Amino acid sequence: MLKYLLQKEFLQIRRNAFLPRLIILFPIVMMSVIPWVMNQEVKNIKVCVVDNDRSTVSQQLVHRIEASNYFIFTGQQPTYSAALHAIETSKSDIALVIPPNYSKGQAQVLIAANAVNGTKGSIGASYLAQIIQADKLTSRQVDISSDAGSNSSTHTLYNPHQDYKVFMIPALFAILMMLMCGFLPTLNIVGEKEAGTIEQINVTPVPKWAFILAKLIPYWLIALFIITACLLLSWAIYGITCQGPLALVYLLAMLLALFFSSLGLIISNYSETMQQAIFVMWFFVVCLMLLSGLFTPTRSMPGWAYLTTYVNPMHYFIDAIRTVFVRGGGFTSIAHQVLALTLIGLTMATWAVASYRKNN
Amino acid sequence: MNAIEVNHVSKSYGKVQALNDVSFTVSPGEVFGLIGPDGAGKTSMFRILCSLLLPDEGTASVDGFDVVREMKQARRRVGYMPGKFSLYQDLTVEENLQFFATLFGTTIEAGYDSIRAIYSQIERFRHRRAGALSGGMKQKLALSCALVHQPRVLFLDEPTTGVDPVSRKELWEMLGTLRERGITIVASTPYLDEVRRCDRVAFLQEGKVQGIDTPELILERFAAVFNPPGLEPSATQSQATEKVIEVSHLVKAFGTFRAVDDISFEVRRGEIFGFLGANGAGKTTAMHMLTGLNQPTSGTGKVAGFDIRTEYEQIKHHIGYMSQRFSLYEDLTVAENIRLFAGIYGMKDSDIKAKTDNVLRQLKFEGHKDALVRSLPLGWKQKLAFSVSIFHDPAIVFLDEPTGGVDPATRRQFWELISDAAARGITVFVTTHYMDEAEYCDRISIMVDGQIRAIGTPDELKHQFQQPDMDHVFTFLARQATRSSD
Repeated sequence: MLKYLLQKEFLQIRRNAFLPRLIILFPIVMMSVIPWVMNQEVKNIKVCVVDNDRSTVSQQLVHRIEASNYFIFTGQQPTYSAALHAIETSKSDIALVIPPNYSKGQAQVLIAANAVNGTKGSIGASYLAQIIQADKLTSRQVDISSDAGSNSSTHTLYNPHQDYKVFMIPALFAILMMLMCGFLPTLNIVGEKEAGTIEQINVTPVPKWAFILAKLIPYWLIALFIITACLLLSWAIYGITCQGPLALVYLLAMLLALFFSSLGLIISNYSETMQQAIFVMWFFVVCLMLLSGLFTPTRSMPGWAYLTTYVNPMHYFIDAIRTVFVRGGGFTSIAHQVLALTLIGLTMATWAVASYRKNN
Repeated sequence: MNAIEVNHVSKSYGKVQALNDVSFTVSPGEVFGLIGPDGAGKTSMFRILCSLLLPDEGTASVDGFDVVREMKQARRRVGYMPGKFSLYQDLTVEENLQFFATLFGTTIEAGYDSIRAIYSQIERFRHRRAGALSGGMKQKLALSCALVHQPRVLFLDEPTTGVDPVSRKELWEMLGTLRERGITIVASTPYLDEVRRCDRVAFLQEGKVQGIDTPELILERFAAVFNPPGLEPSATQSQATEKVIEVSHLVKAFGTFRAVDDISFEVRRGEIFGFLGANGAGKTTAMHMLTGLNQPTSGTGKVAGFDIRTEYEQIKHHIGYMSQRFSLYEDLTVAENIRLFAGIYGMKDSDIKAKTDNVLRQLKFEGHKDALVRSLPLGWKQKLAFSVSIFHDPAIVFLDEPTGGVDPATRRQFWELISDAAARGITVFVTTHYMDEAEYCDRISIMVDGQIRAIGTPDELKHQFQQPDMDHVFTFLARQATRSSD
């Protein structure tokens, strides 16, 4: 019986003028465009300088800033208030004030950063501080030995170039799975409700699980296709490949697909119209995504918000896929996440079957 | 000056020619019928006259204004009631009317006189959502909305499809009063009694005008289409006494509203059982309980030997069902739909194949095996849906208004299929608003206000209520309804 239902679902997807194209184009567009854009590196920070020292040393510092990739030098300002004005009018993001005795090594420089965009402000300021530090070390041959104690060394593990693409591409997998395996099923059952065909199905002896399974399986296959396309594209375009076992990536993707396709069907079962279904799904998707640690580290959330990550499959998925994809972790390192995803997925699938009512 | 002039209008959609050189005129104050089988081009004609569609060739004018060049003026003079109600289901009765009044730059107060006769009947429900109205009331509201800007010409595209005989009569009485006020009316309808109420009718077939004349002459000339010879009463009148449906004291309540209020009846194997009632009388709810879509609030029932309260999933193995709304998958082909439903009922691939060919041959559909269901005309779809619903040889088939909006010739073919099925021993449980179809049933029940008021053979009922035909019997009983919803 499942065979006939599955056949019907695939025929319907194929007959749809729009869906097959969407399924193919969507991962390609997302993978080709978004990794370039979704990047938390702060670049092109506009800096103006108030140089009260006017020495060769201070000139050298200004040249260093000009030469940096991270900064755009917007020119000298005569006074601090003029520099602030430049910030207020968005001509500059950061003002650097070099004190009169800078070349003598005593006075401190002042960095005033526009922190309306907090990340840009703080990261920009710390970049600038690094440049100043480096400048001090090289240009004035400060006695290194005296400073040695406070020197720290940093090793960046697993992603030595701190390339955001490596960090973001696994997250993109998650977003794609969410959009394709979440929204398409959401529209499915409610679509049959609107067309009236569901009533015809409900008077047949078709078992609930068979009907729901026939709805889920096509989306799992779509998920398989998407994850394969994503892996290939990330290798072809960015030369980024999976560090851990590929099988684990697929396992994780399937588990996430199970969750999202079930969630979609549950919402579809409870909704009367497509409009209602899509809005409810949208709400869940945004919440799941923002609370997942996709963009922000979950540990820095307030405690009550952090608690939600225990039931957020996106959180487990992103954690696990980054472990496997970026760090090359094996099954043991993600066992906990796999277990959690399986439990959540199965619960949702059961709910999806239970919430489909053939009878009122 | 004629109220409507249509000169050599043609319209095609891709390869399909919907209208082919159509010309006719309608005088002011006339009630003009546009009749013809499904897909004859009636709706395209309406849409052109309402300036919703541009003709490929030819011209048309309404109240002296060309529908293409003087669209704005023409639209002000036109009221249009499309086949499917164009009401906003989430707005109340009053809000709907207010909205349509605003669209035409007028107010309910200004247009009140022109709609008083109709609107006053539903005005006490003005704070109810349009979606919660019964079919008859929706129709009155839709008509009020079409009339609120005092149009000179009113277009009604199958206004009475899916509406019970009593509400239909009321609608045509309302149209009569509009006519007296000089409003020109163009209506399409599949009902012959409504055709007869027109002053003149144009018979369209395959996009061409076959004839324009008085209803009597047209119906006589094209009797083959409109008045096919009645079905022979089924020779194999079911003599079996085995009961396939037994219902006693069945109740379905939604809150305090008893949609089905204590009904009891029996249906024997091989019978064609007509389940009649006005819109909102509770027919569909009762049918949903029998087919396991709904649980009864109280009472018991057995269908094919299974209890409707506990064994509804077993019942589903033994029944076929065809709902009011068209219920096949439009994006699958004819053969794929058959295969899907046969597969769900557990038939084997080889059986499905052999039987599909048989059924398609019987329907004369062989050439359309791989056509998408979407592309078939309504009457064909309905015949196909019926064949699919009995494909697995169920004990009983439930048909909920299977012939709504279908033309007489196709309905006749449909009923031939029903008799064939009954002759094969399939019990047929059917609801309909066509009283000529009621005459074909072996036994009939008539529901009013959630209760069965009459049950028996058509002859017994006519005799019991001293009425000449089923139409009168139905009207007689349905007029006794006291439910406020209708």
